[in-house]
Amino acid sequence: MKFTFRGKKISGVLTVVPANEKLFIEEMRNFNFPEGRSLKLAEVMGYKKRRQVTGNVCVSDLAVFGLKSLFDRGLLKPEEIDALLVFSICPDHFVPSTSNIIQGKLGLRHDAVCLDINQACAGFVIGLIQAFMLLDQPAFRKVVLVNGDVLSRRASPKDRNIFPLIGDAATITVLERDPADETIHAEVRMDGSRSDALLVPAGGFRQPSCAETAIMKDAGDNNFRADDHLRMDGTAIFNFVQLEVPPLIDSVLGAAGLTTDQIDYFLFHQPNRFMLQKLADKLKIPHARVPMNVVENFGNSGGASIPTAISFNLADQAKNGRFRACLAGFGGGLAWAAMQLGIGPLEFCEIIDFP
Amino acid sequence: MNEFLQKIAQILEAGQVAEADDLKAFPQWDSLAVLSVIAMLDADYSVNLKASDFGEIKSAGDLWRLVESKRSA
Repeated sequence: MKFTFRGKKISGVLTVVPANEKLFIEEMRNFNFPEGRSLKLAEVMGYKKRRQVTGNVCVSDLAVFGLKSLFDRGLLKPEEIDALLVFSICPDHFVPSTSNIIQGKLGLRHDAVCLDINQACAGFVIGLIQAFMLLDQPAFRKVVLVNGDVLSRRASPKDRNIFPLIGDAATITVLERDPADETIHAEVRMDGSRSDALLVPAGGFRQPSCAETAIMKDAGDNNFRADDHLRMDGTAIFNFVQLEVPPLIDSVLGAAGLTTDQIDYFLFHQPNRFMLQKLADKLKIPHARVPMNVVENFGNSGGASIPTAISFNLADQAKNGRFRACLAGFGGGLAWAAMQLGIGPLEFCEIIDFP
Repeated sequence: MNEFLQKIAQILEAGQVAEADDLKAFPQWDSLAVLSVIAMLDADYSVNLKASDFGEIKSAGDLWRLVESKRSA
């Protein structure tokens, strides 16, 4: 479905990453592949460094740390938050919702709307859409969107398909009204018939976690994982992105009356460098306008990867100027969503370490 | 076909690949090679293959014939 919004903006982006950094060159010893091939994989995909939580650190811990940092520095006031949206596939608990946990820890207003929505890699764009829909209500002035996942805790260290690309992070994006009143265009598409391509088989009510779901099994391709672990059909995801994302972007830019030449930056979900290069080639857009370095520096943090790409690559431009952006998120569901909007000047745009 | 075989050889980091060569016999034939072939076929031949399509393929020639059949389809 298509969306249009007016008089809304992103006013700040904060990325919180765990300080704990892991290196591919050290972790590749866990994989059951020749080192030369793993190095080749790293070169093509852009695997180098990634961030991983330690112990049982959850999304709420990263989010509370980030929000406190904003409160302490006067960049956001707890009492002005009208809604807190958490887009994640890593809830602290089934009940209560992670947004309520954050609300309680920070003492947010009781009339603030707190919602968790299960979304993976399309979660930033879909989260912005939900936030802008709330801001269409006259009573809502400021909405906080949290995108975060700690999927390293659900990835098998012996699965070269998924482990080296996963990074943990949470991002905090503040949305509010904009007197400038530019139109924002967005579109969301989904296909649940292909949902097997990204799946954690066990741990929900369909197949509760037990001793058996924790047993590591040979997946038949030299990778080992348990049913508790995230599994990804990499080639199916690659085909999905190449086939479905370009027409979606054409549609959103068409609605906005813009061509790809008129977009300053394409801020895409960051699955790996290879996929982003191929996507840029398919769209016939220069690689320089498509940041694709999040995986090699932090790992793929799902819905948090687009705001991470903004705060890592475009902090100065976003704080001091304005650029015309096209966002696209794509992944689990399957879900894919795109948005065209102007970004900046932002009140804050940075990355901080969670100790 | 020659150009296609050269592209496959490049992906497999082999000097050359012949029509009858068994792709799975190359030490470099792994998930990265499959993905690279899929990406190459998409970009250069506008053909979308799934990983499961490779189950029925043995030789480089088999792969070429599958690509040809999808192109004419």
